[in-house]
Amino acid sequence: MAGTIIGSGITIEGEITSDEEVVVSGTVRGKLSVDGGVTVESGAVVEADVAAGTLSVGGHVTGNVSASDRVDLLAGGRLVGDVKAARLTIADGASFKGNVDMDV
Amino acid sequence: MTTPSTIGRGTTIRGSIRGDGDLELHGYVEGTVTLGGDLQISETALVKSDVSAKRVFVRGAVAGNISATEIIILEPGARVVGDVGAPQIGIRPGALVRGNVATGAPLPPRPVHVAAPAAAQAQRGRPAVAAPAARTSAPAARAPVHVTPGRPVHAAPSRPVAPPPVARPVIARPPPAPHPVAPPPPEPEPEPEPEAELEAEAEPMMEEEPAATEEALEAGASEDSSSPPPPVVPAVPKGAKAQVRRGRGGK
Repeated sequence: MAGTIIGSGITIEGEITSDEEVVVSGTVRGKLSVDGGVTVESGAVVEADVAAGTLSVGGHVTGNVSASDRVDLLAGGRLVGDVKAARLTIADGASFKGNVDMDV
Repeated sequence: MTTPSTIGRGTTIRGSIRGDGDLELHGYVEGTVTLGGDLQISETALVKSDVSAKRVFVRGAVAGNISATEIIILEPGARVVGDVGAPQIGIRPGALVRGNVATGAPLPPRPVHVAAPAAAQAQRGRPAVAAPAARTSAPAARAPVHVTPGRPVHAAPSRPVAPPPVARPVIARPPPAPHPVAPPPPEPEPEPEPEAELEAEAEPMMEEEPAATEEALEAGASEDSSSPPPPVVPAVPKGAKAQVRRGRGGK
């Protein structure tokens, strides 16, 4: 069970730091720094720079993203911003605009 | 419609949380929390912010005002430093509160709070001379403040705005302190004021006591020490009072 769930009715503006899994179904603006996994559900809006272990995007993310492990952009997901991650997957049906840095 | 929201123990949020859903807090929040639904603040939570929601259940620590449109329940283990306002309030045995508690209406919006310290500050700088004259009118000046039902909580902090209270703290403040909220041993205080007023007074006491004390000391050092009156002020030579009054009248 995820440690932190930001439900669809909730808007957080500011800085979120966490060392456990974070699931976003609502709206986050500002900054999101998580040691564990971040899941941006379909319908969620994240307008923030995101740093995470793993990031899975089913909703809309605007901001630069860095993940120590991986970033998964799921079908229906939308990501606008630069991505820095060891691994990146972009599913069919996802939209993405930005640069990718995979530490080659 | 809205999924249940949780802020986990390992999570820190600095900023505002808004929404119309329910929220469970287990982590650290600094900022403001405004919800249309229920808010649960668990044992592990530390909230340093003003909080408002439809219903609020507190088991953890809150440093800030709590306001609800329906009900606030402080469960055992709750530690609240701040004002609490809602139509219904429950404080269970084992909950700690330090602040003004008011049933009837949610707390008024913030701004009042902000203005108060500034006013108090200005007040501090004011010459003590103004005090005695004003003191006589003090009760009158205070009355309107407490009458306003909409703002029971912040009425008190704003009180220093009126000149009278400057000297008053020395006289009036110490007694009410022990009363409703403050921890120190209660002393029966025959003040004929309504309970609501005592409550209102209790809060500023805690927040401003140091200032008041300073003021008292200052006053004690200066010529004014003699003028302020009776009950609490330490030994004042009998003639001094009249003397000072005369001196002031001359000015």
